[in-house]
Amino acid sequence: MICFEHVSKFVLSDVSIYIPAGTSVGLIGASGAGKTTFLKLACGLLSPERGFVRTMRKNPVTHRSELGVSMGVMLNDIPVLADDNSVKSNFDDLRIIYRMTEGGYKEEYRILADVLGFGSYENETINALSLGQRRRVELGALLLRHPKLLLLDEPTIGLDQTAKENLRMLLAERQKEGMTLIISSHDMGEISALCERIALLDHGMLTYYGERELLLKRFAPMDTLEVILSGPLPDLEDLPLHSFMLNQNKLTLTYNSNHVSSAELLHHLLKKTSFTGVTTYKSELADVIKRIEKGETNEFYRGK
Amino acid sequence: MKLSPYLAFAKKSFLSRSAYRFDHFMGILNTLLRIFIFWGIYLALYNGKSEVDGVTMTMVTTNFILSMGLSTVFCVNDFYLPSRIQNGSIANEMLLPVSIHGRMLADNLGNALFQLVFHFIPAVVISVLVIGIHAPASVAMFALFLLSAIFGYGVLWTISFALQMLAFWLINVWSIMTIKNVFINVLSGSMIPLWFMPDWMKGVLMFTPFSSIYFTPVQIYLGQLSVPEILKGFGIQLIWILVFVFLGKVLWKQGQKKLVVQGG
Repeated sequence: MICFEHVSKFVLSDVSIYIPAGTSVGLIGASGAGKTTFLKLACGLLSPERGFVRTMRKNPVTHRSELGVSMGVMLNDIPVLADDNSVKSNFDDLRIIYRMTEGGYKEEYRILADVLGFGSYENETINALSLGQRRRVELGALLLRHPKLLLLDEPTIGLDQTAKENLRMLLAERQKEGMTLIISSHDMGEISALCERIALLDHGMLTYYGERELLLKRFAPMDTLEVILSGPLPDLEDLPLHSFMLNQNKLTLTYNSNHVSSAELLHHLLKKTSFTGVTTYKSELADVIKRIEKGETNEFYRGK
Repeated sequence: MKLSPYLAFAKKSFLSRSAYRFDHFMGILNTLLRIFIFWGIYLALYNGKSEVDGVTMTMVTTNFILSMGLSTVFCVNDFYLPSRIQNGSIANEMLLPVSIHGRMLADNLGNALFQLVFHFIPAVVISVLVIGIHAPASVAMFALFLLSAIFGYGVLWTISFALQMLAFWLINVWSIMTIKNVFINVLSGSMIPLWFMPDWMKGVLMFTPFSSIYFTPVQIYLGQLSVPEILKGFGIQLIWILVFVFLGKVLWKQGQKKLVVQGG
């Protein structure tokens, strides 16, 4: 669906990636890492300085309008809808542009208005809407015509929890229909829920592209195990721990999940002592971003 | 370029205008006021004479009634593209599977059709009844006048089309559009008929795009042009249309290039 071959543009440097049709990719990275540039290159709003980009086997810069039939794009710095027109009028424009039948359009509009909740202000002009209201309408406008490829830049900004959940549900449905989804977001919950693959950008470099679980193992392998002891403190010398801390009867163990599993740790503890409660904390995508922002991931690049 | 979405946009533009009834009546009143003010000015200037330098009062009134009537129809939205460049939505327009130029034209044509039916016809009918104008020289000349008026609209639209592209570099093109409108108002012959200009100036102006917007159609209507002169007039109109379309397309390509290379 999307292919980048040694692409450089602005901060992006020598990015090569292939995203097959039907996959969902979460584009993550600290601010300024090149996520929006990546999306603009994919849809043809930017041309690469070096390398080439193909979207649906076409050069997106020269076939932008043609690709527009089956591609939906939402970028934070680009308004999707005409500000001085009402919600309904904007959707009516889309009906004309995408040559939708009257019946099909009405049905689709009703579903989207219900799920995303913009039906109650459909006669308001876009510039009279709040950020969250506007975002709901923009997402509806993109989903109206069932695009084969959807590129979203921070889609949940301004959305409340219900709207976020409804959007997730809607996107998951569309993914089942075969839609390819690329989301750039700082909301790691969103990415985790929707994306099977992660593309990690750090200072313009694609430092990881693959499954989410593998990313965590590589960049945020430190998990935590909390044990409420009812017996004595066991000998922890021969365990491959990163660190441990005892606070009254609460023992906190931090370990590298690539070296030892929580099951192995518990098995060891059970042999040496007794305890009344156990809690494990797995690393999350947000931890990866935090580490990138702190510049702590360089050690992994060197070791890869 | 399939026509159906553009026809639908033109229809939408036409229908959206009909929602503003007060604006519609004010528009007719505005056109009538302008026509009657000019009538008053020329009545004073002619001071009871039937003609000045071979130009009769009826010729003058015919010129400004038709020119001002046409100017109500020839309303081009000079800020269709600049407003989209200013707020950044031009990038989204570039991703749509319809031509933005086609949308611009459809939007303007829908509006022009509304103006023709609801402003031009009532205003001209009232003016003809109260002031009176020359009848067309012949049925054939009237038909050629209509054709020339369509080409005149083409010239006006393409001038605006080309100048709107400058917004890629200047962002705010308000002053350029104002200067363009001053040139059109003064040099198109709608306010001051080109008959009153010195011969050398008239000779120069007849080759500019401005005179071909309103003055060429009016001259054809009055039967002042021979067949070769009419053909020359059409030729000048078509050449200007092609020149401005070419210029606009070149600037559009360069503007798009600026967007995709520099990112804005």
